[in-house]
Amino acid sequence: MAGSALRRLMAEYKQLTLNPPEGIIAGPINEENFFEWEALITGPEGTCFEGGVFPAKLVFPSDYPLSPPKMQFTCEMFHPNIYADGRVCISILHAPGDDPMGYESSAERWSPVQSVEKILLSVVSMLAEPNDESGANVDAAKMWREDRAEFNRIAEKIVRKTLGLS
Amino acid sequence: MRAASITFISLALTTAVVGNAFYNKKQFYPSVVYITKSNPSMAVIYIQALVVVVLIGKLMQKVFFGQLRAAEFEHLADRSWYAVTETCLAFTLFRDDFAPRFVAQFILLLFLKAFHWLAEDRVDFMERSPIISWLFHLRVISLMFVLSLLDLYFVNHAYLSTVSGGASAQIVFGFEYMILLMIVLNIAIKYVLHTIDLNSDNPWDNKAVFLLYTEVVMGMFKVVLYVTFLIIMVRIFTLPLFLFRPMYYTLRSFRKAINDVILSRRAIRNMNTLYPDATPEELSAADNVCIICREEMHSASKKLPCNHIFHTSCLRSWFQRQQTCPTCRLNILRIPGDRNTGANQAANAEAQAQHAPDVPPVPHPGLPNPFMNGVFPGMFPFWQQQFNQPPAGQPGQPGQPNSGGQQPPTGATGAATGTVPGAQPGPIVMPVPPFPPMPPGFGLPFFCPPFPPAPPPFAVPPPMPPPGLATLSEEELRRLESAARDGVAARLQCLQNIQQLLDAAVLLMQQYSNAAAAASAATVTPVPSSPPSSSSAAPPDSGVATTSTTVNSASPVVTSNATQNSARSEDRPTSVSPSSETPSSSRSKEDTGNSSDLTTSVRSDGSGSSSSSINQTVTSALSPEQDEIRRRRLQKFTGIPEPMD
Repeated sequence: MAGSALRRLMAEYKQLTLNPPEGIIAGPINEENFFEWEALITGPEGTCFEGGVFPAKLVFPSDYPLSPPKMQFTCEMFHPNIYADGRVCISILHAPGDDPMGYESSAERWSPVQSVEKILLSVVSMLAEPNDESGANVDAAKMWREDRAEFNRIAEKIVRKTLGLS
Repeated sequence: MRAASITFISLALTTAVVGNAFYNKKQFYPSVVYITKSNPSMAVIYIQALVVVVLIGKLMQKVFFGQLRAAEFEHLADRSWYAVTETCLAFTLFRDDFAPRFVAQFILLLFLKAFHWLAEDRVDFMERSPIISWLFHLRVISLMFVLSLLDLYFVNHAYLSTVSGGASAQIVFGFEYMILLMIVLNIAIKYVLHTIDLNSDNPWDNKAVFLLYTEVVMGMFKVVLYVTFLIIMVRIFTLPLFLFRPMYYTLRSFRKAINDVILSRRAIRNMNTLYPDATPEELSAADNVCIICREEMHSASKKLPCNHIFHTSCLRSWFQRQQTCPTCRLNILRIPGDRNTGANQAANAEAQAQHAPDVPPVPHPGLPNPFMNGVFPGMFPFWQQQFNQPPAGQPGQPGQPNSGGQQPPTGATGAATGTVPGAQPGPIVMPVPPFPPMPPGFGLPFFCPPFPPAPPPFAVPPPMPPPGLATLSEEELRRLESAARDGVAARLQCLQNIQQLLDAAVLLMQQYSNAAAAASAATVTPVPSSPPSSSSAAPPDSGVATTSTTVNSASPVVTSNATQNSARSEDRPTSVSPSSETPSSSRSKEDTGNSSDLTTSVRSDGSGSSSSSINQTVTSALSPEQDEIRRRRLQKFTGIPEPMD
């Protein structure tokens, strides 16, 4: 019998392939290693990221689901809650102990009840509604607040880039 | 590509050097001598040797690991970097021994270290991949075998050379290989555990526990090794700088392992004592999937106070990290035994927290409160009677939580009403039983008039009252008991303080009587004046003072007693003054401790021991007649609190 983390990841993979949520594809990069996943997220409609397809990598710890996975976009991103290197900064990816930004309540932190699907859905909603109080990318947060037109222009450029249009 | 070109260039250089030597010397022996004498040629040969070693390493890696995964490679690169810097540091320490042979040994050590790391990563990978081939097993087993043999050989070699040739750099190698041997052992244990898990049909729940203990034991061995190594190095050579980083990491991981074991044990204990197993009906009523592992629950499931059900093993590993319900994040440690309605309980807790500030503060017996110190002695029995009666029927009714956050736990009511025989007359205030709880909305009007607003006695509200002892688990009872013991200890301290107060009061009364005697007849010898500290400590307890004076005025040895007293109180003026504060702490402790019926027995024990201890303190260093007086006074004194408890 395989380890519990592996069994849970396989169960989640099966669930995601059988009932894929809209606009999200995710699965292990290599079926020999279920602890590294790749995900494709389409930008939510009606936002500046609409139409884009954003690739991301998920790395699971060996004690998943007790600890959260790490998620990192592998394409260029410009978003208040995404670091310049693509790491995603949302509260459900943080273990209840650590609080990098010092404002998250433990109620929205990681717990074993969360899943890959929920993480990806939260990321989609994060793309739609950035939280400009968390400064993973301070420039983007500032621009989102003060110069929305410029922010939209950059986002559109990134969307075009992910589609290979420019 | 680059590696291939480097290999090619070094090969070409070596051929050139060897060819050149042969061309010049024509014979084998002279050409060897020529190469070893010429520095450039030797440099080329060394480079060639290094390249060969790397190539052999690559070959070994192909044989034992196949293709390295990206993560493994990254890991290896990180660790090699540190290892190389540490090796350079070690070189500085042994610069006298610096020789090609020595360098070769260090490089070999580095290589073997790298293989140990890779083996570790590989075995960890067993948990991550669904496909483990027989080739994997073959490779890992043979690798562990070869590595352990090599380690053993080198440890032995280092040992022999140290024994025969005295302390040298071989000590370093010996210890390094010992540590590598530990790593191999650790890997082997992990491998065995993983293999057992993989081959069993059911999930093996205890594997995590085994792994945890392996970690602790191995960590301990490593720490011991490092510390002995450090001591030996410091005594023979000098401070081994290159040792500190690995030693620090070993210590840290050892600490973490111990911490994990403690947390895990606590989680297991809570699991076994606090939460009931889910019944089959409950399992079938819910959707029967453990939300942690996403698998069906057939057996070995636990139900939390919030009605959420999980696998025992899943819950255990989660509680090692956090003591909350994974689903609703209810803090399960805050909620004692009650399992009726988790949501209600949480709501109650909240309501209590909100209600707490509204309740009028309980007047504190330790504070100088004019209403309680015998100024209105009539109020006191009234107060006790009034507030003991209403809740008399209440204790032991589970599921009916007390609304007043300030009230002591329900269990205390039973204790208080059981032992207090109605009104206890007398102005002595110290051992007042804790406030009994009362039905919401009833006690409030009674409370307000007699007590002026006093500062709230508790910085934090006391813990929630348990609904009843029947629902408490073994563990909780034990906790309650220990809290009760604390209360008893605090009570003892309080009694001692009272004794000191009494002494001070006696002294004061002595002065009064002396002054009165001096006023009426001039023949009486004046008494030495008492220190100000005792007189300042006496007023809060003037009620107590009156009782004790009645005892003392009848005694014939008044003056000597008084001087004795003044000497005593001069000896420890600081111990008299805090007595007005210590009861407050003891009071609050009592409130937490009184929460069970068990306390009645404990308490009677406590008061008995308190009187005896006081007797002891008194009898020491006192003359027989003084002793007699003390004892009489103490009898009076200790006779009072017992029925009141």
